[in-house]
Amino acid sequence: MQFVLDHSYLIPLLPLLAAVVIGLFGAKILRGASHWPIWLSVGGAAVLSFTLLFSMLGNLEVAKTGLTPAVFHRVLWFDWFSAGQGDQAVSIQAGALIDALSVTMLCVVTGIGFLITVFAAGYMKGEKGYWRFFAYVGLFISAMTVLVMGDNLVLLYLGWEGVGLCSYLLIGYYFSKTEAREAAPKAFIVNRVGDLGFLLGIFLTYYCFGTVTFFGGVEAAGGQTLGFVEMMKDPAAHVASDRLWLLPFIPLLLLIGALAKSAQFPLFVWLPDAMAGPTPVSALIHAATMVTAGIYLCVRCAPLFYAYNEILILIGVLGCFTAVFAGSISLRQYDLKKDFAYSTCSQLGFMFVAFAALSPVAAVFHLITHAFFKALLFLASGVVSHATGGVLDMRKMSGLKKFLPATRWLMLIGCAALAGVPLITAGYYSKDVILVGSFKHSPVLGVMMLISALMTAYYTFRLYFRVFEGPEIIPAEANQQQDEHQHGSHATDSHATNSHAAGSHSVSSLAAGSHAGVHHHGPREPLIMILPLIVLAIGAIFAGFIDYPHRDKSLGAFLGSSPSLSLGYEVAEQTYPGKIQPIPFGQNGAEAGRDEAKISAERKLHNYMMVGSGALALLGIALASYYHLFNRQALAELSRRLGSVIRLLEAKYYVDEIYEALFVKPYAAFARLTQYLDYAIDGAVFAVALVPQAAGATLRYTTQRGYLQGYALSFLLGLAVILALMFY
Amino acid sequence: MSGFTQIVLHHYLAIGAILFSLGLIGFLTRRNLIILFLCTELMLQGVIITLLAFATFHGNLQGQAFVIFALVIAAAEASLALGLIVLLFRQKQTVDADAWRELRG
Repeated sequence: MQFVLDHSYLIPLLPLLAAVVIGLFGAKILRGASHWPIWLSVGGAAVLSFTLLFSMLGNLEVAKTGLTPAVFHRVLWFDWFSAGQGDQAVSIQAGALIDALSVTMLCVVTGIGFLITVFAAGYMKGEKGYWRFFAYVGLFISAMTVLVMGDNLVLLYLGWEGVGLCSYLLIGYYFSKTEAREAAPKAFIVNRVGDLGFLLGIFLTYYCFGTVTFFGGVEAAGGQTLGFVEMMKDPAAHVASDRLWLLPFIPLLLLIGALAKSAQFPLFVWLPDAMAGPTPVSALIHAATMVTAGIYLCVRCAPLFYAYNEILILIGVLGCFTAVFAGSISLRQYDLKKDFAYSTCSQLGFMFVAFAALSPVAAVFHLITHAFFKALLFLASGVVSHATGGVLDMRKMSGLKKFLPATRWLMLIGCAALAGVPLITAGYYSKDVILVGSFKHSPVLGVMMLISALMTAYYTFRLYFRVFEGPEIIPAEANQQQDEHQHGSHATDSHATNSHAAGSHSVSSLAAGSHAGVHHHGPREPLIMILPLIVLAIGAIFAGFIDYPHRDKSLGAFLGSSPSLSLGYEVAEQTYPGKIQPIPFGQNGAEAGRDEAKISAERKLHNYMMVGSGALALLGIALASYYHLFNRQALAELSRRLGSVIRLLEAKYYVDEIYEALFVKPYAAFARLTQYLDYAIDGAVFAVALVPQAAGATLRYTTQRGYLQGYALSFLLGLAVILALMFY
Repeated sequence: MSGFTQIVLHHYLAIGAILFSLGLIGFLTRRNLIILFLCTELMLQGVIITLLAFATFHGNLQGQAFVIFALVIAAAEASLALGLIVLLFRQKQTVDADAWRELRG
């Protein structure tokens, strides 16, 4: 443990080195072996992260009464930069903050990241830019670890920008596709809006608190030993009184950054378009890790957010709205990946609602389980697209359960987890905790989240029943293998005509053999792609059991030892006296001092909610099965009657078009205006340049006419002038 | 002939000046390269006469020694100039100075 603490810089450094190595040698030398540096480095980072996790778990002391003692380690890496002089000097160091929250995030990022890189080695095989993909992924993982490990806001922002950059690079990986070329800048620019808010928040933090470090314990330049998050326990003591009124704006500005990064309304428009990138990228960045950075930021600065009721209301409203809004769009998406993309927006909304409903543990819990099953779902879609030759439209395929048997079961597990099938999936437990928390905080909020949960169950299983059950329809492209990632040119196999012959295959796809009747490169479900999915599926089922509320080594108890949560609890107690439950903050010990009647009432509500949410999930699945499995015709009739609503959903509520008209077109017009202004300025400069030109021409046409005698006359005149000057 | 008692210095200087001016005006107004050169020589002769006049006036031979130099230089320059005129003639088949007005700008 001490070794890892001393060498914590290895966690971001290893993937970065791997990325550099691949960048330098990948194109010519490494080529198809470019995944090895990534496997080794991300695997190494994962080993280090899990070492930290297990040793911190081992050292965990759960207080029986009162608050859990906060445990964190700060490791200084290096002095980064300084500016200014004297008492206005700013000095920023780079260091690691190792506590329960950051270690949890690290394990999610490196663990799931590693599984996805294993999958990607199979998925991206044969790509011309194979090395480029892995170099970018290495850079991404490095930046993401810096984000979650940074001990101050500026270092976090570095990681934030780094993942934004890699998101841009990876979305635009297939740069020959128009959608990818347009989606990458869109993602980057929308995130830039958020980054502006974030940056202003950082400046304001420094202005008010004099430091951007989260937690102190190490003497920083300027004599500050307290981090600004710690200062929130008693802001008036640490902030100049004329700057106190500015404090609520800090969480507001940081929130803007979080909304953009985590694709919440109104800054979510980049996420569905980001599906133009390769599927492993969608799984890694846009489901499991990068989009969770916004939640991480909020939880990390929880004391700052929990001091202001208005901010929490705002987060709750936006998160709830996104959860319902994005969920409703997902009801009518036909592209597998877009369906899951809107689902991700919706689930992130759940996490924000949990945070706003004063249950940060629930938010992180759902983050973890969501990472598992969402990555599983995206990667399974990747297997489907790999096998169908790039087709992802669920109207073009059906009944793939015999075509892709292993994938079918894995996708089923993922869908069950997302829908929250009771008791046997992780998604059930984490979503249930959120539903309980939100209902307790405000019944209206609870009902809206229940509606969203119902929609989630419905659209998830709509996808499953449409794609894997029902009559078998395999898209024609499956035979020709014109994948979305160019596999070079194949000669179409002469006996690969009848696509329905594929239906008679047995479950031999795991063997690396060829299939009579269908031509493709190797197995349809290659082992390298299925193995990570199996691991993820195990997580999707069992990860729910890490948070049994009253066990000593539960997730909640572990997270409660993070100063962000224990201080958050204290600040929340100050803001809402008597209304805070300690368990959602991981403060299991503080339960002991509470009113027994209250506790049993809460437990009863929790039990009712567990039954209720389970029933809702099953109801959603039942509805989906009716309309998409047993009686697909009924759906057509329903669609006819609800025509205008359906059209609105299919058009995604015209959000993109509204943004285009409100922001993009005016800005383009402004850009053209400045272009004309530029012409005017260029003209002015050109006009100034004309003066010496004119002067020169004048001289040329008067004094240099090539006329010999003229030159002689000039001599004479000059002489006359000199003589005159000499004698007068 | 009444104001004309003896030939004094300023008479010689006047001759020199007249020769020089004639040469100058000729140089400025003539077009033929050879005549142009002739006028140059004329200017030189005007200066030589001035030098000789001063030599006599001061009663020593310094001016005359300088005149020898000037004459030698005139001769050398004459050969050089005529050679150049021949070369120029070969280019344009004319000795008109205006033929070279394109060397302008």
